[in-house]
Amino acid sequence: MDGSVKLDEVVMRFGDFTAIEPTTLAIESGEFFSFLGPSGCGKTTLLNIVSGFLTPSEGQVLIGGEPMAGVPVNRRPTAMIFQNLALFPLMTVFENIEFGLEVRGVDKRTRREASERLLSLVALEGSGPKLVTELSGGQKQRIAIARALAVEPRVLLLDEPLSALDLKLRQHMRAELKAIQRKTGITFIYITHDQGEALTMSDRVAVMSAGRIQQVADPMTLYRSPSTGFVASFVGENNRLEAKVIDRQGERVRVDAGLLGELPGRAGAQAPLGNGQAAALYIRPEHLRPVTQGASGPQLEVDIVSVQFEGASLMLQTRLVASAELLRVQLGSELAKRASTGSFQPGERIILGYDPDDAVVLPDDGSPRLDEETGEVVETTAGTAGAVQPSGGADVRSA
Amino acid sequence: MFAQLKARFGGPLAMAMLTLLGMWLIVMVTLPQLQMIDYSLRPNLLPAEVGGPKDGWTLDNYVTLFNNDIHRGIFFKTLWSSILVTVLTLIVSYPLAYYLAKVATPRQAALCLLMLIVPFWINEILRTYSWFIILAFRGPLNEILLALGLIERPIRFLNGDAGVMVGMVYAYILFMVFPLYNAIESLDDNQIRAARDLGAGTLRTHRRIVIPHAKPGIATGSIMTFMLAAGSYAVPALLGSPGSRWFTQIIYNWFFEGGNWNQGAAYAFLLLVLCIGFMSLVMKFFKVGLGDIAK
Amino acid sequence: MAFGLRFYIVVFFLYLFLPLIVMAAATFNDSRFPTITPWDGTTLRWFGELWADGGMWQALSNSLLVATGVLCLAVPIGISSALFLNTVSSRAKPFIYALILSPLLTPGVIIGISTLIFWRQFGVSGGIFLTVLGQATFIAAYVMLMVMARLQRFDRTMERAALDLGASQWQMFRRILLPYLKPAILSAAVIAFLQSFENYNTTLFVVGYDTTLTVYIASKVRTGLTPAVNALGLVLILITVAFAVIYEVKRRREQASLARLSRQ
Repeated sequence: MDGSVKLDEVVMRFGDFTAIEPTTLAIESGEFFSFLGPSGCGKTTLLNIVSGFLTPSEGQVLIGGEPMAGVPVNRRPTAMIFQNLALFPLMTVFENIEFGLEVRGVDKRTRREASERLLSLVALEGSGPKLVTELSGGQKQRIAIARALAVEPRVLLLDEPLSALDLKLRQHMRAELKAIQRKTGITFIYITHDQGEALTMSDRVAVMSAGRIQQVADPMTLYRSPSTGFVASFVGENNRLEAKVIDRQGERVRVDAGLLGELPGRAGAQAPLGNGQAAALYIRPEHLRPVTQGASGPQLEVDIVSVQFEGASLMLQTRLVASAELLRVQLGSELAKRASTGSFQPGERIILGYDPDDAVVLPDDGSPRLDEETGEVVETTAGTAGAVQPSGGADVRSA
Repeated sequence: MFAQLKARFGGPLAMAMLTLLGMWLIVMVTLPQLQMIDYSLRPNLLPAEVGGPKDGWTLDNYVTLFNNDIHRGIFFKTLWSSILVTVLTLIVSYPLAYYLAKVATPRQAALCLLMLIVPFWINEILRTYSWFIILAFRGPLNEILLALGLIERPIRFLNGDAGVMVGMVYAYILFMVFPLYNAIESLDDNQIRAARDLGAGTLRTHRRIVIPHAKPGIATGSIMTFMLAAGSYAVPALLGSPGSRWFTQIIYNWFFEGGNWNQGAAYAFLLLVLCIGFMSLVMKFFKVGLGDIAK
Repeated sequence: MAFGLRFYIVVFFLYLFLPLIVMAAATFNDSRFPTITPWDGTTLRWFGELWADGGMWQALSNSLLVATGVLCLAVPIGISSALFLNTVSSRAKPFIYALILSPLLTPGVIIGISTLIFWRQFGVSGGIFLTVLGQATFIAAYVMLMVMARLQRFDRTMERAALDLGASQWQMFRRILLPYLKPAILSAAVIAFLQSFENYNTTLFVVGYDTTLTVYIASKVRTGLTPAVNALGLVLILITVAFAVIYEVKRRREQASLARLSRQ
């Protein structure tokens, strides 16, 4: 059963608005693949194109190698889990799960066997005769999964299905979804704006912004080696320092960060960085650490503005002495302990250092980034963005 | 339009829906009205004369009304009386609607609404007939008034327009109460409290806060009541006397006693214009649209 | 003020119910005329007279026939137009919407008259058939409003889910949309039936030489007035009240279940 999905130069336009820029992508059979991006980035549109609710303006979709042009929603080998689940409220759990089989003319006994089997897969044996309105949020979630699996899809499409659940249940369901995917071996295509979900469950993630795929990679690579400024800002938290490339030796890059002087970093994946090019240096808060004066490596002198205790770690809001820009610093538990003995108080001046391997240099490509205040995507033109950008809105920080 | 229906329901269903809708709107709603207007613009001819030299469009049937003092008088009397019925119904309904929406507890309101609905599930004719019994010359109302010594001789209630008024207010009250109730109910209680708090008296609170908010309901109720009153046949026929005829009765007579359908069609069209005119005026005055009227 | 308002409410409901009570009471008065003053003794004979009245039975069967016809015509039309309005977006929609509502805002006599005139050219004169057509013309609009009210709360993701699970559009309609609309359709059917049963203004013009129950009562009131009419009225009142109460109870149950649904 080939559950591979191929997007071939797919474009989607609504009137003058281009929702999906030309996109080519291959999702392997049996893969857990996520589309991650802020609302309005086109990820749901892409899902609707795969499921058949939308017909692409250009290009084509292939599922299992077969072109899907002209194949209506109800004939595609896909099944969707909707954001609001869309369980049929007037039907029992059995009727919900068996609906897909019933409309295919499968006889009652086979149907019942299938639904019993699926109920045990989602660990809800015995709830078949209940009305779906009697179920809890997590149970509804599982029934929605069982209902979609009942039609034996080659590809399961999930449209932010966990967004309605509370935090605890959401984390539990992540593990459950992943387990079900492993057990069934079905291709999962998952849509979310929650990077925590995308990073924990997926084999690969496509980060999307403004109708364009910014990067496709496994979660680790995405986090370690973002290939665009947007990905660097959107996935995890990052400090952004504007700079100019001075010198590049293979992976090693030296940049001129204006008032901050020369700083070393690592060239981002496939980043075309020539000498003199406008670029940005991204350092994650957890990669900054206090160092003593005169130590080797890059040094940044900062004043502590505020301190947030976050349990396992300590979050410092600091201001660069040289440029007055803000820098966020996350201290691990060992260093955090020192805060209780009087270190790291607001007003204190400290020196921060980092491993040049952890600082990624990317060309300032004018790609969309997140607004500091609201966490929403804003379009930037190269050079006008603030020098330092502690990124991330509320939902971005949940990783 | 078909494409959108087909995309949602598939070809056969979309076809069936569009056919039903088209049949209704064209064959049952539009064409009969147009035919009625066409009729009203043609003279009443013998079958042999149809298609002959006399068969052509003319305004004669409308001129008839304006030359006939009695009919013209009845037309305007119907207009004024219907407006009076509308205003009376509004006055009677407003306190009740306000009570239901803002004073009564939910239980009381639910009970009252049920009690309101039940009589109106009963035939208009029967409801009107009840008043016929009460208002009769030797009926209970006269007997009570006599017994109380308020009058010396029984009154002929059914001789003038009074009986018709009472019957009509009674018959159409629900069409006023419900729109009013819906409108007042959507008013935030705090607005009333705030007005009181700022020192507004009962009357001022109603005039400045409740009534402006209830405008769409007043408009809807008035339009429905006026239309029903002006178009009523049963109430004036049962409770009216020969001296207090309604315009609908004249129309009926053209059709089934005068045998002049063309003349009747002209009168019917004038009645329709009257209702549309009233509706447009009310909608303009209260600044409401069709969507508000359909609740 | 509060006392004044309460007093008004009591008077109002007296005004509402007294006439019906008087009429019902007059049924049992052994008087040749329908009245309660003077009371000439209590009798049940008017029920017997009503039972023996062949004209009444004929009118009743006509009324039932008409109401059934109206139901078969107005309910599908009303559902179709609600679905049409819910689905289609077009520049012509406001116009079509106005056209759909227009029968509600047109006096019943005019609907009767225009129906009568229109069908004359096809050689169809007043009778059961035209009565059905005339009544259905405006009753369909009531059905549309009632179905529409429920349809507007329908979550269209259900439709997408059904299609996505492999249902054809017909299966989606049959298994998802219709069951959802069923309570509204049943209510609309009850209302349509009653509206037809008690209609007078439209019927008067299109009924021809046939007689429906309402027309029969009206003619009795004007000509051969006896308390037998009251007996008929009382029977009808009791049936309608029973109907109304059952309908109300059902409607409340449905609303309660709907509230439960939306809470989840």
